[in-house]
Amino acid sequence: MSTPAGSALPHRSVANIRSPSGTGRHHHHSGSSTPNRSVASNLGSPSSLRADEEIIIIEFGTRRLQVGYPNDPAPRGCVWFAPEQQRRVGDFRQWQSGYRHEWRSAAAGGRWGRDHELWQYDVREVDLGLVGDKIERALREAFTKYMLIDSRPRRMVWVIPSSLPIPLLSAALDSVFSRFQPPTVSLLSSPLAVAVGAGVRTALVVDLGWRETAVTSIYEYREVDSSRSIRGGRMLVEQTHNSLAKHLPGSQRGSNSDNPDATHEYAISFEECSDIATRMVWCKPRQRPATATAPQLSDDGLATVLEQDEAEARDLPPTEAAGTVTIPLKSCSPPNSLELPFDALTEPCENAFFDTQYSPSSFDDHELPLHLLVYRSLLHLPLDVRALCMSRIIFTGGCANVLGLRGRIFDEVSHLVQEQGWDPVRGKGVGQLRANPKLKRRGARQAAEGPTGVAAQPDGGEEQDGVWHDSADTTPEVDLIEEQLKRGADKGARVHGELRAVESLGAWSGASLITHLKTPAIATIDREIWLQHGAAGASKAADVDHKNDKPQRQSLGSGGLMRGAAAASAWTLGVWGAN
Amino acid sequence: MAALTPYTYIQCPCADPSTLGHPSGPNAPTDTDADEDDRTFDPRAPRSNYSLYPLEYLLYCEDCHQIRCPRCIAEEIVTYYCPNCLFEVPSSNLRSEGNRCTRNCFQCPICIGPLAITSLETKPNPGLLAASDNTAAPHHGPYALTCSYCHWSSTEVGIKLDKPNNVHAQLARLQNGGATRLTGKERKERRADPSKAQDADGRRRGASRDGQDLDLETQFTNLKTFYQSQLADPESSDSGLAPLGDLGYSSPTSLSRIMHLYTGGGRQDKKAKSRVGAMREALGSGEGLQLAHLDESAAIAALQAAGHDGTASTTQLLEQPPHLGAAHPHGSARLAASLRPIPYLLRTKRSKRCPLCRHIISKPEAKIQTTRFRIRLVAGTYIPSLAIRALSLSSGNPPGPAAAAAAGGLLDPLKPAHFLLTFKNPLFDPIKVTLGAPAATPGRFASRVTVLCPAFEVDANTDVWDEALKDGGGGERDKERGGRERRRRKGEDGGGSGGGGGGGGGQNQLEVGKIWERGRNWVSIVVEVVPASLQAPVGGGQPGLLQEDEDVLEIPMFVRVEWEAEAGGDEVGAVVSRDREAKEKRELAYWCVLGLGRIRQS
Ligand SMILES: [Zn+2]
Ligand SMILES: [Zn+2]
Ligand SMILES: [Zn+2]
Ligand SMILES: [Zn+2]
Repeated sequence: MSTPAGSALPHRSVANIRSPSGTGRHHHHSGSSTPNRSVASNLGSPSSLRADEEIIIIEFGTRRLQVGYPNDPAPRGCVWFAPEQQRRVGDFRQWQSGYRHEWRSAAAGGRWGRDHELWQYDVREVDLGLVGDKIERALREAFTKYMLIDSRPRRMVWVIPSSLPIPLLSAALDSVFSRFQPPTVSLLSSPLAVAVGAGVRTALVVDLGWRETAVTSIYEYREVDSSRSIRGGRMLVEQTHNSLAKHLPGSQRGSNSDNPDATHEYAISFEECSDIATRMVWCKPRQRPATATAPQLSDDGLATVLEQDEAEARDLPPTEAAGTVTIPLKSCSPPNSLELPFDALTEPCENAFFDTQYSPSSFDDHELPLHLLVYRSLLHLPLDVRALCMSRIIFTGGCANVLGLRGRIFDEVSHLVQEQGWDPVRGKGVGQLRANPKLKRRGARQAAEGPTGVAAQPDGGEEQDGVWHDSADTTPEVDLIEEQLKRGADKGARVHGELRAVESLGAWSGASLITHLKTPAIATIDREIWLQHGAAGASKAADVDHKNDKPQRQSLGSGGLMRGAAAASAWTLGVWGAN
Repeated sequence: MAALTPYTYIQCPCADPSTLGHPSGPNAPTDTDADEDDRTFDPRAPRSNYSLYPLEYLLYCEDCHQIRCPRCIAEEIVTYYCPNCLFEVPSSNLRSEGNRCTRNCFQCPICIGPLAITSLETKPNPGLLAASDNTAAPHHGPYALTCSYCHWSSTEVGIKLDKPNNVHAQLARLQNGGATRLTGKERKERRADPSKAQDADGRRRGASRDGQDLDLETQFTNLKTFYQSQLADPESSDSGLAPLGDLGYSSPTSLSRIMHLYTGGGRQDKKAKSRVGAMREALGSGEGLQLAHLDESAAIAALQAAGHDGTASTTQLLEQPPHLGAAHPHGSARLAASLRPIPYLLRTKRSKRCPLCRHIISKPEAKIQTTRFRIRLVAGTYIPSLAIRALSLSSGNPPGPAAAAAAGGLLDPLKPAHFLLTFKNPLFDPIKVTLGAPAATPGRFASRVTVLCPAFEVDANTDVWDEALKDGGGGERDKERGGRERRRRKGEDGGGSGGGGGGGGGQNQLEVGKIWERGRNWVSIVVEVVPASLQAPVGGGQPGLLQEDEDVLEIPMFVRVEWEAEAGGDEVGAVVSRDREAKEKRELAYWCVLGLGRIRQS
């Protein structure tokens, strides 16, 4: 069990692990090695591999797990968490005729929809053992149904949100290490994998997730900033419920229609609301104010049809907007069928994500409307990082599938940029700022740095840059960035300064690329060591980072800080261990 | 609320994390003897659902003398096959098609029924067709995949096939709507042909801005190729990267040196800094970069036209395998017009081993058409089965299932009720059974429980004829033998004897410490319960809405079975007892859950 000190090194290095030849990172001595490898990987019908050479990539989300093999473009299977999964084996009631899910009792006590979630981030409310059980069962299903693998131990790569609380990560590791015996589990942060899946090194990843929307700034493959808002899928489904319930006859309505904060009594089941949110809810384009004077920069892409819709939506009461849709509801009693204007199906989206009826200053940080969240995230960034990030906005997550939502956020942000520039202190005159000598310096330097690709951009975002006051204090990265720009590392045509959205294959696929390319994960955890020490055995990432000169943080052996027997094998939980 | 047939679930001992990965031979449970009474298992706790199994789902390792559930067993794959055509699939060509059947087996995207290949030609003569259906087909293309259950047809999504065979390959190059695409293989061939090389466009600066739209598979391939070329030695033939060569990196041989994934802390060492930037980003579609199309007005218009009926349900979407032949669908995947026929997922036949001793516990016949097993050590042949039925004491009639049915199947709150538990011994050795149950059920509603006879012996499962010769049915003698029962540990406060006043008919006595009835290899005992009132949760307050099944009276019961068996040589964990030769003492202990019935909600 206990690894002898000193001998633990070689297998701790991810590079070594993944190359059975043992030569570690030196795969490509010559140019010819690349074709060789791609041949190998294409042959890589992984069935010809031994189980201990196989790697399984698992992406964890609040509502589902996605599982598959490296070098696949998409996961093999996706398992959603649902109440049926939480039943005893052999309990087939859901298949019996006449069975009706008692959603009202399941929803009692604020549990509406909670049994569709793997975890809640407020760990005080979470049964950590149950989290482990859910993961185990979902993985077994995925392995048996989609992966068709036996139970030999396989290495794993996990893609997890960078905000995942340690107790949850710990519970997941406990369960998986003891039940599936993977020799190692490597961790990747999902925003980073999303960026890799888009082909960029720098990005603003807008993850329109279930429990929250997280905006993460990635600069040169590093997360430099992140902020979140509770406006996510869950809120969308709740708002869908409220919108639908409003249209039910009075007697069928829940008690909450007028006061959303009151203890909810739901009129429609979570399952049904979630289904309707997925099928029917869409997002209106940005409403142009009647006295639009600003140039409509970001709207050139909009089709005329939409502009008409928009006009109608603005001028007419919603009930008279073109067309109605019929929504059958089965879970309310008695079952009902709602005839709704098509436009009414944008209401959940407006309430959940934008809440434009309130002033921007009335929101707490954790509940910012999404366009403000994105805008402020950009605003937080040092000038140069921002210029690059804003041209690499990546929308990802389940709510990216809400028709029109990505475009709407993008347009709202464009509008904010146009209206406010990058002035962190609102109210100051732009002209005054333009006189700022700092700005001039930066502008000049940028001009000198060669082709920027934005010279022709008329939207003013770039011109108003340079008001980043205290970047040196708050972001140590700024040095690095300056240095890098000076070195001309980015001489290539790196588009910047222009708002632009790029498409990513997603976090799972990004992880598939990363793993296939044999890149180290953020942290790799060895099963034996985990079972001995648990999360407490992880060195604080920052400590290790500080004392180690090695660029490769995964093979931290030589300078390990841990005392005693584990000294030769210091390891970290990456960002997840930071706090 | 419907009545419920009484049931039993068994908790596999592997649920206790302390026993995980440790052998729990005959000596193991005794160590924890003291704890067993302290920790009461709550069958209603959400975690319990993950460790409880009906007896039929459990296997047994003869060598470790332990129950094995699906969570504590090692599986090996015997064969892969398609559940539709029942063809075996060699493991070598499993994964290239996503573990799905590559023959002509598809499921309906609407109802998951099997799809048939039908000719779209007007059929010449129905009668004639039926006769010669399987011979030389008289009909020609085009063909469609159709569902005989819900009448879905692939023509609804614009897919028609030229040939009635090789459907999988045909579908791979067909988009919904009928447009064709290159498959991954074809693209690779094109790329190999330098005259058609597309990569060059991507490399040229500026060409990126108006790249073509890629399907997901192509984007992935392009990205991969791009990264690989970036990771290759800059001195290599790939001169397209020359501008990056003068950054001072002699040989960025691994992404680990440049793609600095570490994100914690704020410190950066100088070396790492200098390496950042060795690799540039993808610039064009040839390198996998795709600009997002944020204008979804067409999809919104399509949604409006389609209405609710024209969209796929959540369940239907879940069944769809990722369609890599199209660009990222985002929200338009919801349209029923985007659904695709689902190639059948392959299945496996698995053999199972004990993870500790590696002995085979279950091995199916390799032939796909049969569901038989060559080896299968089901737990039911090693541990006593437990049957429950309600016992009606109010009438003089012999108790039977009729009594329970007559009672309407619901348990009246606060009224004592009796249940007969019958333990049947499958072993060829007599067993000693000891039961432990909490006096009150855990959870919000505490029903009171009294096991009238918590310890007894059950005779061996001897041959029926032996039994007949040896013993002419002397129930009395048996009863005396079973009379070694101890008094209930948790006291007599459950009102146990009070309920017994009515008495049973015949020889059966409702008496503390006495078994109810005994047979060749079985024993029945009585459990008395006083169902809780669903109006009065423990700790007071309002009951509020009941959780699902909260009205079910479930009793957690700890079962310990002890017996002496022929010593099986050098078995793992065997402990030879001192007093008897060639016999060893064995013990098995586990929690089980007895579901007795629903309590009436008044
Ligand atoms: Zn088990
Ligand atoms: Zn088949
Ligand atoms: Zn069908
Ligand atoms: Zn065994």
